[in-house]
Amino acid sequence: MDAETTKALIIGYGNPDREDDGVAWHVLQGVAEHLGRTGPDLETGGLDQLGQWPDLLFVWQLAPELAELIADYDYVCFVDAHTSDYPEDLRFDTVEAGYQASPFTHHMTPQTCLMLAERLHGHVPQAIVVSARGHRFGFSNELSVQTALLVEEAIERIASWLGAISDD
Amino acid sequence: MSTQKITIEPVTRIEGHAKVTIHLDEDGSVERAYFHVNEFRGFEKFCEGRMYFEMPMITPRICGICPVSHHLASAKACDQIVGAPPPRPASVLRELMHMGQIIQSHGMHFFELAGPDLLLGFDADPAGRNVVGLIEANPDVAVKAVKIRKYGQEIIRTLGGRKVHPNFAVPGGVNKALRPAERDAILAGADEAIETTQLGISVMKDWAEKNREDIEKFAVFRSGYFGLVTEEGGLELYDGNCRLLDADGNRLEEFDGRNYLDYIAEHVEDWSYLKFPYYKKMGWPEGVYRVGPLGRVNVAEKIDTPLANEELNIFKALNDGKPVENTLHFHYARLVETLFATERVKVLLDDPDIMSTDILNTRREYTGEGVGVIEAPRGTLFHDYKANANGQLERVNLIVATGHNNWAMSEAVDSVAKTYIVPGEEITEGLLNRVEAAIRAHDPCLSCSTHALGQMPMVIDILDADGRLVNTLKRDGR
Repeated sequence: MDAETTKALIIGYGNPDREDDGVAWHVLQGVAEHLGRTGPDLETGGLDQLGQWPDLLFVWQLAPELAELIADYDYVCFVDAHTSDYPEDLRFDTVEAGYQASPFTHHMTPQTCLMLAERLHGHVPQAIVVSARGHRFGFSNELSVQTALLVEEAIERIASWLGAISDD
Repeated sequence: MSTQKITIEPVTRIEGHAKVTIHLDEDGSVERAYFHVNEFRGFEKFCEGRMYFEMPMITPRICGICPVSHHLASAKACDQIVGAPPPRPASVLRELMHMGQIIQSHGMHFFELAGPDLLLGFDADPAGRNVVGLIEANPDVAVKAVKIRKYGQEIIRTLGGRKVHPNFAVPGGVNKALRPAERDAILAGADEAIETTQLGISVMKDWAEKNREDIEKFAVFRSGYFGLVTEEGGLELYDGNCRLLDADGNRLEEFDGRNYLDYIAEHVEDWSYLKFPYYKKMGWPEGVYRVGPLGRVNVAEKIDTPLANEELNIFKALNDGKPVENTLHFHYARLVETLFATERVKVLLDDPDIMSTDILNTRREYTGEGVGVIEAPRGTLFHDYKANANGQLERVNLIVATGHNNWAMSEAVDSVAKTYIVPGEEITEGLLNRVEAAIRAHDPCLSCSTHALGQMPMVIDILDADGRLVNTLKRDGR
């Protein structure tokens, strides 16, 4: 497969107005710049620009209806912040379809979205998650210094991933 | 008396928004259970100093779950600040957007969050008691569930330009009229949305029939009920007066929401960061009440759309016309409201003003103060602003639905713990599920602004009388 026949989606999510929760927004803009393109805007999230290689999409949260879109791709990269007890500040990992509990919230996890794609639409793409550790979640669209330092590395890792899948 | 404490902590990755503690006495009976909320209240301060007209765009960003409710409540407050009531077509369009919000949020909650509990059972393995298990059990329902949420989202996107944080309502009206093709596209999906909601109601009723015993002992308690009503006492989600009933269904008050401070006060407990609103004249705790679907459907005497009204009558018969007290019937009430919202979409689209371009009142009689009230999916939402002569906000007060239901969620957890924890018996996964379900029935919005990876694990730590950890039940959401 190559870039002309495969479809790849980089989907960032979070709240750009809650400091590090919006790190995916900053990463997506950097990836777009790396690709020599304009990143998705906050009005449409990039939905009106789909059909490129790779597609770039930004959403506030993962929701069930995204499963239909995701199922249309061969490769998907989810980008988000994390505060979990992972050892790495920047986590880069494969992710597979499965269910994750999210008992009180309306948003879904990458695993659940992939599972919905598989069960409802018959196709699950190969997927990775890139997540940067968040430190501050106040009301601002600036990143904390610690999280901002991870953005460049995240962009490089995603660029490498794009290179690898285009050679696949 | 020495006690032991069980902590159920749905630890969010940000502010540790909420946890449950269950205090047991010496013989292992539940003494009292608490639902603690560590709410982030910085948003009001964040807004002070901003220009009032920025608020309809800023406040939706509190939340990715019901941003439309914040957007519209904020715009309603701003209408009053500038002394510019919206032209009727603008109000009709705002209400249409709000129906989209109700449909997507209620649809998501029932089918994706509560549905697995109902269809698969509280005691089912959590590995399968979820939306994926629901798909396997009933793929047709699952497909329809995704579609109804999408339908609500499309209404929001059509009017507001985007699905999550719309740019639509402005002080004095809205910034975009509805085009004929857009109207037709929304109308084309309305009947299917109604049918899906009716399917949900039939699922709910089947479940209720088979689980009557659980419903009758699961967090059933007395309280007041609060919600907006039409002038004729009908269910109202966008506008109208606030109505408050006592636990027996007697009307205590009906008032203009702008005067909410004359009726509502907030109590503080040292075990929760979230205040507890109550009816001022009755005092705390006698004046506690419930909002959201159960509150609204209990205060409404009728519904102005035929199918939902028919369903309301069935709902009312559950307790012979008295308020329905069962926490699990929040789900039924939510579906009744969804049915109303889907029917209401058709009514609004048939309104002669729906495609009018008279959508903005440009006359200004600046007052500097405004209170916007709306029924968010999870309950009554107040936005109260005071601005100076330059339009800069000096005071912002928000009372959100999850706050109104704070007491009710804690009471529900306490009731469930007392009902299902049997002294001497092992505390099981089923208890964890039920505690979760007691909170979830209220559809609280605890962590809606931020969604960093790392979910809300549910943990029960069981400590003996000396405070030593003897057992842990945990559902890791990492």
